[in-house]
Amino acid sequence: MKRTQQVTASQPRPALQPSDVDLSIDLAPGRPGGLGLRNPILVASGTFGYGIEYREVVDVQRLGGICCKGTTLRARFGNEPPRVTETPAGMLNSIGLQNPGVDAVIEKYAAQWATWHVPVIVNVAGESIEDYVEVVRRLDGVPGVAGIELNISCPNVGNGGLQFAVDREAAGAVTAAVRRATDLPLMVKLSPNVADVRAIAKAIEAAGADAISAINTLSGMALDRVRRRPLLGNTYGGLSGPAIRPVALRIVYEVAQTVRIPIVAVGGVSALDDVLDFLLAGASAVQVGTALFADPGLPVRLIGELAAWCAGQGLGSFRELIGGALPAGRDRPSVKGAEYRP
Amino acid sequence: MRLLDAELLASREILPGQWLQDYHAPWLAGGCRAGQFVHVRTPDYSGLVLRRPFSVNTVDRATGTFSIHFRITGQGSAWMARARPGEQLAMLGPLGRPFEVAPSTRHVLLIAGGLGMAGVRALADEALQAGRRVTLLFGAASAAQVYPTSLLPDEVEYVVATDDGSLGQRGYVTDLVPDFEAWADQAFACGPQPMLAALAGLARGRDTRLGVARLRRKRGRAHAAASSGSAQARRRAWLQVSMEQNMGCAVGACLGCVVHGVDGPVRVCREGPVFAADEIAWEPAS
Repeated sequence: MKRTQQVTASQPRPALQPSDVDLSIDLAPGRPGGLGLRNPILVASGTFGYGIEYREVVDVQRLGGICCKGTTLRARFGNEPPRVTETPAGMLNSIGLQNPGVDAVIEKYAAQWATWHVPVIVNVAGESIEDYVEVVRRLDGVPGVAGIELNISCPNVGNGGLQFAVDREAAGAVTAAVRRATDLPLMVKLSPNVADVRAIAKAIEAAGADAISAINTLSGMALDRVRRRPLLGNTYGGLSGPAIRPVALRIVYEVAQTVRIPIVAVGGVSALDDVLDFLLAGASAVQVGTALFADPGLPVRLIGELAAWCAGQGLGSFRELIGGALPAGRDRPSVKGAEYRP
Repeated sequence: MRLLDAELLASREILPGQWLQDYHAPWLAGGCRAGQFVHVRTPDYSGLVLRRPFSVNTVDRATGTFSIHFRITGQGSAWMARARPGEQLAMLGPLGRPFEVAPSTRHVLLIAGGLGMAGVRALADEALQAGRRVTLLFGAASAAQVYPTSLLPDEVEYVVATDDGSLGQRGYVTDLVPDFEAWADQAFACGPQPMLAALAGLARGRDTRLGVARLRRKRGRAHAAASSGSAQARRRAWLQVSMEQNMGCAVGACLGCVVHGVDGPVRVCREGPVFAADEIAWEPAS
């Protein structure tokens, strides 16, 4: 039997072009000057170096923001190789915060960053509160540094980092100490390797963070079956990629109902659907990480896809999506749009 | 470096589990040098999240084609072996630093262990085109794994060693090197790490064994002026090695593929994959 498609003359929506959609977002609305991004697609720390490595194949200027490689007070050699391995729908890394130290980072890269439209958020790691404070103090006021992402959750360094992310009081203490040391927008990155992330998120908010990024990698390991020993030189590594996306989504969803500061989702973003999921779960922006390795053009493509999707839905701003899937009656995280002014 | 699609032209299994594939990508073939590599995307991102790095095996600029030679070691390479002519594969390249042959070099010694052939094969063509003489030392477990002579240019002198003596000399490829170290002006190697470490040891003692006196220029650029990692430093080295390591981004961003250099960690994807042998801090053979 031949079925005829019933064509209903639907009410024509006001035609919205992708270029009409407002993609701007402020990740530090409580801070004078804020941290305005032109779009909510950032690249995640550790996957994009210092923003220059990919410049031959990625138009970095179009990104919403760049979170640079984790930076410490002194240079670090990092962990023993091998440092990366592929796992089902993901990868393990145990880089161990290899970096030339904050002074070298400023000297080598900040001048370049200062010429860019795209804000560079420096990811900061340390082994003690004093370390964090000193690194941030040196970054404070440096042209080209748009904000700080506090890495209190790196699973790949022996006695540093992660300890701050698993304890509510320590997380609050390091956030508060850094807050006192700088007026730069401050984002703190949560670890998923905890029983209940909400208390920690609350403490970080109370200590004065402007935003929260979630999540860092999950602790994991892989074996070299033939040689009967751990595959990675550091034994343990951090799991990233699509494999951890449901975990990230759950944590973003939980944290969004706990804090009012913006949340930046990170964990396995590899398509527009993932961006939409995280926004609906309460994130104000997303970071693309592991997916960059297979598809360096993805973040820039996502910006266009998000605008086109919003236009198709008749949304004048992507911000209307934020928290759309959260239980009704709850406070939405506070967000406000702003043009980025370098 | 560029993101591009390369069309698979031909694919054949040249040795058990080892494949040779020809690709059409004129831009890549035009700008690629021996020792560089391409980063190939597998189709199934939901399962395989990383690209696969492959040395460029041969380059034909006239037809805009290049080949890669790989062994099936997992899901990614198994998928590639199943690819059919006409398919487009997403590639990033050319990547990394190439072999550097000194202008004065007349005799080129290539040393390959097993799949290490893929790393040095392109240099045989480049050196012959430049009018140099090429000897290729090749080591494999047994005759069944020996790279076919038919895939090498006729002008290459091909010397084989097998672990079980089933073809050529019995023993390791490193055992062949002393017969050629005086003849060779420079040597270029790719293979398992213990093999490269053994070769680096041989290279260190070469000047003494041969009674070579290193003449330095009185003024101007002394040897020490060639900074570690520079093309100059490699060009002056008697032995250059192509290193292998698990890789993430392949552009120098993720720091996943480092090996120990004498001055600290070095990225195989960016400072390498070709290093002067004395730039690497070799682990003592265990």
